[in-house]
Amino acid sequence: MHMADALLSPPVATVMYAASAAATGISVHKLKKDENTQKLPTMAVAAALVFAGQMINYTIPGTGSSGHLSGGMLLSALLGPQAGFLSMVVILAIQSLFFADGGLMALGANCWNMAFYGCFVGYYLIWQPIMRGRLFPKMEAKAAARTKIIMASVIGCIVTLQTGAFSVVVETSLSGITELPFGAFCALMQPIHLAIGLVEGLITTAILIFVFEARPELLQEVNAKTGGHKGKLTLKKTLVALAVLVVMVGGALSLFASSNPDGLEWALFGNTEAGYNENMALDEEDYGIESGLSEKAASVQEKTAFLPDYSFADSESAAGTAVSGIVGSAIVAVAAAGISVLGRFFRKKKQA
Amino acid sequence: MIRFEHVSCEYEKGQTVLNDLSFEIQDGESVGLIGANGAGKSTLMKVLLGLLPYSGRILVDDLEVNKANLKEIRRKMGFVLQNSDNQMFMPTVFEDIMFAPLNYGMTREEAEKRTEDTLNELGLSNLKHRHNHKISGGEKKMAAIATVLAMDPGTLLMDEPTSALDPYNRRIVINTINKLNKTKIIASHDLDMILDTCRRVILLSNGSIAADDGAENVLTDQILLEKNRMELPLSYSHMKKQ
Amino acid sequence: MDRIDHAASELREMDDLAALSSPIHSIHPLAKLIVTISYIILTVSFSKYDLSGLIVMLLYPVIIFSISGIPIKTCFYKLRIVLPLVCAVGLFNPFFDKAPLMSIGSIAVSGGVISMITLMLKGMFCLMASFILVATTTMDAICAALRKIRMPGMIVTLLLLTYRYISVMIDEVSVMATAYKLRAPGQKGVHYSAWGSFLGQLLLRSMDRAEEMYSSMQLRGFSGEFQYADVSPAKPKDYLYTVFAVGIFFLFRMINIATLFGGIALGGSL
Repeated sequence: MHMADALLSPPVATVMYAASAAATGISVHKLKKDENTQKLPTMAVAAALVFAGQMINYTIPGTGSSGHLSGGMLLSALLGPQAGFLSMVVILAIQSLFFADGGLMALGANCWNMAFYGCFVGYYLIWQPIMRGRLFPKMEAKAAARTKIIMASVIGCIVTLQTGAFSVVVETSLSGITELPFGAFCALMQPIHLAIGLVEGLITTAILIFVFEARPELLQEVNAKTGGHKGKLTLKKTLVALAVLVVMVGGALSLFASSNPDGLEWALFGNTEAGYNENMALDEEDYGIESGLSEKAASVQEKTAFLPDYSFADSESAAGTAVSGIVGSAIVAVAAAGISVLGRFFRKKKQA
Repeated sequence: MIRFEHVSCEYEKGQTVLNDLSFEIQDGESVGLIGANGAGKSTLMKVLLGLLPYSGRILVDDLEVNKANLKEIRRKMGFVLQNSDNQMFMPTVFEDIMFAPLNYGMTREEAEKRTEDTLNELGLSNLKHRHNHKISGGEKKMAAIATVLAMDPGTLLMDEPTSALDPYNRRIVINTINKLNKTKIIASHDLDMILDTCRRVILLSNGSIAADDGAENVLTDQILLEKNRMELPLSYSHMKKQ
Repeated sequence: MDRIDHAASELREMDDLAALSSPIHSIHPLAKLIVTISYIILTVSFSKYDLSGLIVMLLYPVIIFSISGIPIKTCFYKLRIVLPLVCAVGLFNPFFDKAPLMSIGSIAVSGGVISMITLMLKGMFCLMASFILVATTTMDAICAALRKIRMPGMIVTLLLLTYRYISVMIDEVSVMATAYKLRAPGQKGVHYSAWGSFLGQLLLRSMDRAEEMYSSMQLRGFSGEFQYADVSPAKPKDYLYTVFAVGIFFLFRMINIATLFGGIALGGSL
């Protein structure tokens, strides 16, 4: 789910950076207030371990494939949401810098899509309410705790990966990068990440259960008294909040879909009545699906246009100067090759 | 001077790790701490450093080891951990050695000078700009020793300093220890190294002192050693064979 | 699980590259950070049909690779992570955007094909720019640059500490993986019966390690803040480099250089 720079437009990337920066600032502030300086080495070591642990293949029985751990829920269950978030941010930064897994400009978006949902949404909306909730009262305490961990991990991973994947679709679509219609993109991303989320949930569960059996004091909220005495969000409230969220998102999606009733059909089979030219004109402004969302996206981009005074090369001039463009590009490519050769020549000379 | 008076330490689960220890260590003494695994060697050093709660009384130069005196007491003592990776947490060797001086209030210039001097004294100037995650085990151990010597502590505590070192680096560490003019408390299974560096040996058994005598006396007592799951140092057993 | 060993050697390689010396290596890290971010933003901002305008942005990475002596091969190896996703997204474009935009000779090229190519090129160029930054700037210098732009000390410290221990952890995971492989010769990954214990064991050990680290810090007077040296102050050449590079990027963004050259080469305007 790591996004490359090319998948975002500068305005969208900036907004995501601002959002992640805000979350980071809040986390730093909270951790400083706690004055628990011991957290720092723990966060670093956990982050380094999760980073290394992401490279392990977990074979899924029955299929030939394997799953992986990304670690948001795991880190927040171990360290708490703020510390878990900062650890994930550091992991993502190192992945982006050293392994080109995710772009530098996209780091803000990646932090939001993977760290924020994984640590804040996953913790406050799922882990904490479940762990504190008065569930399974008939079960023996330890068995109840174990079941709660399983529930919280699986649901948490599924939900956080779904929201993360959805955000990728939204960000890419708002950036105007892909011709893929919103609905089709969702249809591609969400089911895949449902499966990925389930597998990750099971892996996370296995690890957390292991830790629980050995040293339960390492897990957040595990020894908290059930009944949610001080919890800001009881399980009931959480379910209500989630339901509201689902309705809102569903409503938004259906609004979008209703202004383009055959969105998905069109995406997959082509709107044969209207013909492609109806849907796709040469003029860049009018191509694609007419819909509330794409209009809104266009107006957002206009308002936040990066260099409003300069006209970006639009399709007309591109078509018109195609030939000189090709020739010029060839010149640039030759120049680039020449520079590399020269550079190598001079460096060899220096060594000699 | 270090004094333990009826010191006991318990883990949460009711397990007694140190059982009514009383002893004294004078300035400049070199003391080897030996005993089977779990006998309490590391715990003894940790309570001395204020890392674990204890009952009884521990005095370092007439200062009691409690929360109020921790900073002052820790300034007087340098602790070399068994695992150098856990000790060297800064990116470079230089920054790691500067860590303590900076925390204890030296200016950057003073800290840098102190670090240079420490590196030179130990013959480690080649490590100055090296990264901690790239140096070898032996280099890391020497660098770890440098990090604690930077504050010029009166007492040096070491937990298994020669474990995982090859013979060459082991010899370097032993020679370095012997050159230092400080009070030394060294916990180790490497009885030959203890013989080489310590004048006095305290043998711990289940949290109590089973022997506290000159090194040659304790380390030649084969029955005592074997009763505590140890053997004669190789230097002695080899001689005995001859 | 060979990814782990690859990861260790990739990290080492980036470390070694950053430790080399060249005119680029000696530029102030904040200057390089600013130039890299500007390059990425401006490259990404090209319109999706502006292929000829975009191509000239290739010159920056090529020139820097030349001057710094960083091998391009290593950079391209890293493309294997970025390109698949970018291609997957861009690959749909020719199917949805079929209207012809231009023609090369008698072949009509649709807008979708152009936008797919620009997307892939943008992906490649941005990666090259990031790679150049990290291959010519040590981690300490990058963190120093971050501190200069007022990033909270806690994050910078966390970044440095994590970076310090990543190779240690990669080694531990690698050793565990080898031990596993040797006793499970047919398996390609961790069997579900060991899902919990494999990483769980390492996790528990890591918590102990963190505790020891913290003791070590406390014993050396740690009271909450790490102190770092400031990177050496910026020199005139650093300002010059920044202004010049960013200025050129803006120029390339505003004027289609390739078309200009082509127009000149073809003798007269079209």
